Amino acid sequence: MGRLFIKLTIVATIVLLLFLPVNNFVKHSYDYNINHEMLAFKKDPYPVDIINLGASHSMYGYYFKPTGLSHLDLALPSQTIEYDFKLLKEYGKYLKPGGIVIVSISQITFANSETKNIGNYYKVLDRTEIEPFRLMDYYSYLYLPGTNSGSFNSALSDKLKNFKWNSHQPWANNGKNYSGRKYERVEAQYREAVESNNIERNVKQLREIVDYCSEKGYRVILTMEPVHQSYQEYFNEEVMNRLVFQYLEALNLDVPFLNYMRDQRFADNKDYFIDADHLNREGRKMFSWIVYKDLKELGYL
Amino acid sequence: MTLISIEFLLFFAIIVCIYYIIAHRFRWILLLGASYVFYATLSIQFIPLLLASTAFTYFTGIIIERQETKKQKKKVMLAGISVLLFFLGWFKYFNFVNDSLREIAKFMGLNYSVPYQEIVLPLAISFYTFQAVSYLVDIYYGKQKAERHYGYFSIYFAFFPQLVAGPIERAKKLLPQFKVEQSLNYENLTCGMKRIAWGFFKKTLIADRLAPIVSSVFDSPNPTGSQIVLATILFSIQLFADFSACSDIAIGCARMLGIKLTENFKQPHFAVSIADFWSRWHITLSTWLRDYIFVPLCKGKKKRSEIYFAIVITFLVSGIWHGAAWTFVLWGLIHGFYRVFGDYTKNSREKMVSFIQLDRSPVLHRWVKIAITFLLVCFSRVFFRSDSITQAFENAKLFLTISSWRPSGIIKAFEIFSLLDLVIFILFFIIVQLFQYIERKNGSTWEWLSQRSIIARFSFYIFIIVSVLIFGVSGNGFVYGGF
Repeated sequence: MGRLFIKLTIVATIVLLLFLPVNNFVKHSYDYNINHEMLAFKKDPYPVDIINLGASHSMYGYYFKPTGLSHLDLALPSQTIEYDFKLLKEYGKYLKPGGIVIVSISQITFANSETKNIGNYYKVLDRTEIEPFRLMDYYSYLYLPGTNSGSFNSALSDKLKNFKWNSHQPWANNGKNYSGRKYERVEAQYREAVESNNIERNVKQLREIVDYCSEKGYRVILTMEPVHQSYQEYFNEEVMNRLVFQYLEALNLDVPFLNYMRDQRFADNKDYFIDADHLNREGRKMFSWIVYKDLKELGYL
Repeated sequence: MTLISIEFLLFFAIIVCIYYIIAHRFRWILLLGASYVFYATLSIQFIPLLLASTAFTYFTGIIIERQETKKQKKKVMLAGISVLLFFLGWFKYFNFVNDSLREIAKFMGLNYSVPYQEIVLPLAISFYTFQAVSYLVDIYYGKQKAERHYGYFSIYFAFFPQLVAGPIERAKKLLPQFKVEQSLNYENLTCGMKRIAWGFFKKTLIADRLAPIVSSVFDSPNPTGSQIVLATILFSIQLFADFSACSDIAIGCARMLGIKLTENFKQPHFAVSIADFWSRWHITLSTWLRDYIFVPLCKGKKKRSEIYFAIVITFLVSGIWHGAAWTFVLWGLIHGFYRVFGDYTKNSREKMVSFIQLDRSPVLHRWVKIAITFLLVCFSRVFFRSDSITQAFENAKLFLTISSWRPSGIIKAFEIFSLLDLVIFILFFIIVQLFQYIERKNGSTWEWLSQRSIIARFSFYIFIIVSVLIFGVSGNGFVYGGF
């Protein structure tokens, strides 16, 4: 048995030596550190004027620094409204009196109920807030992210951004391929949400966010970020009514809704987008100024 | 705690250590406790059902043996099997029958008032019920003595490595192995570890990487024909990788405990006929169906038509066993038809092969047969994979449309993968194919590998572990775990 033990030790050592650089690679990747702003804020918090919640549309949507507002971005990719609320409860206390909460509404707001990257919340939320919490996942995510194939794939994809089929490039066929694929994904997600009655839960959660803000004295605004023309073709009025607006109208919330989805200042201009539904640095700056001015007009600032 | 998890590996490592530390007379307690703990982590609410089924089968076995006449034994056996099948039927088929009756009543304009019932399928019920049935039948035929040690019998019923998805073992093979004192054996440990590692490799690098790709096509409301063709072929690869991985892990775990389980797969996608396919795919189910359905049905039958009828019924049972849906019933019937058609046309096919002189090139002939068998199996799996009968027929139509097989369309269909995922999948798929190639040439890849240099061997082991660690995708249960 001693022979077996020696062999296993050799194999384990070499595996470890090969694995360490991979682990390091993932640990330093963009996706693994996507919550770095929240982490920095958690470490060194300060009073903020405005907070934005939501998924990737919102995460890539706001940059208020040039406007002079102190801003905390609480949006993360594929973030469910459930986690919007959890983050708001955790970080809302840093809002200045009368501070603003932007609740971003997107195509997936009511259909999205599965938290895909739960690891993103391990460091920014209390353990008790994370469901389901699995100790093994928690420690492997923190210390051995290289074992998480999703994180590794994201890190690798980030390094090999252009290693895609031509038809999968974000602007292939003027963005229509990307938008079409996204549309199919959202539709599938919506069908599943309808079948599993998740929509009602998400609608209720939005109501709870608004009520919570009102109770705490935060001023809420609902927004929808601009998307490219090609995206609008798939997510037309009828589709958006089915996916989002029917539920939003039924809620009858007493808060303003700034819908920029079909804003013509963005719709035809690829220069403002990374892909058909995410703003780039330029787009983000311009959009944030527009929101800032509209908030002023509404008397929020 | 699923088989594919660090938790399971840790749990199993602890069990192995304790197993070899404690005295043999206490090992059954350890194995039984481990089996129930494992089952409880997956499906605690059905532990009482597992316990009840075990106790029922145990006592029924003894009662069968105590009967004096064959007739009395038969009565008790049939009563016992009926109760076991009642449990299986209630949990697995109630809603299937209920829904079907409702549809028939609707079609005929009748009133049908039995509502849909929320019934959760107990984990592994299909597997342990079949083991129980074989146990009772074997006692009836005198092939097996009723086990008196309740502990050993309970382990046979719930042995954790093979509980979730087989192999479906016979009592006469498994029970004696539990009773033999197993000593710590280098070969058992290393062989077991290699099988487990290879199971993890196939499951996490092939099956679970393909699962979302295949789903994206079968869940799509309007897939193209070429996408259905590609996704069906990929599903065949996924299903084999998934199920054989589960068997590998079960066999590997048992081997580490000194217990040899039955091999469940012999490269089924290299079968040269449908009959050959069923002697290579889910072997323990095939032999179970042969021994407990087909052979009894054929008893006293000599006419060809009667044998064919028995074949169709056997495959129908196979289909129903797999799942409570018409898609599985059709899948079973298709295989029954394949077998009957294959047998009926054997002579004429041989003549045709001779006429076109294909038999002059045995290698080419063999590969043509392999390709045809694989495609026939793939076609049946359109029904296996589709969610409803309507969808199955639509997909089958697409699969059979000639334009769906245009090379340009198939190449385009590969875009269901991201390019990176495709490259990663191809790399690991080639490794699996190489492994299988060596196995076909040498009988066992592990033996072949043991004759290579230590560096080559260790490189391969390290490659497997590192690949699983870094590229392995997990999170999905086993496809057959759902049956």
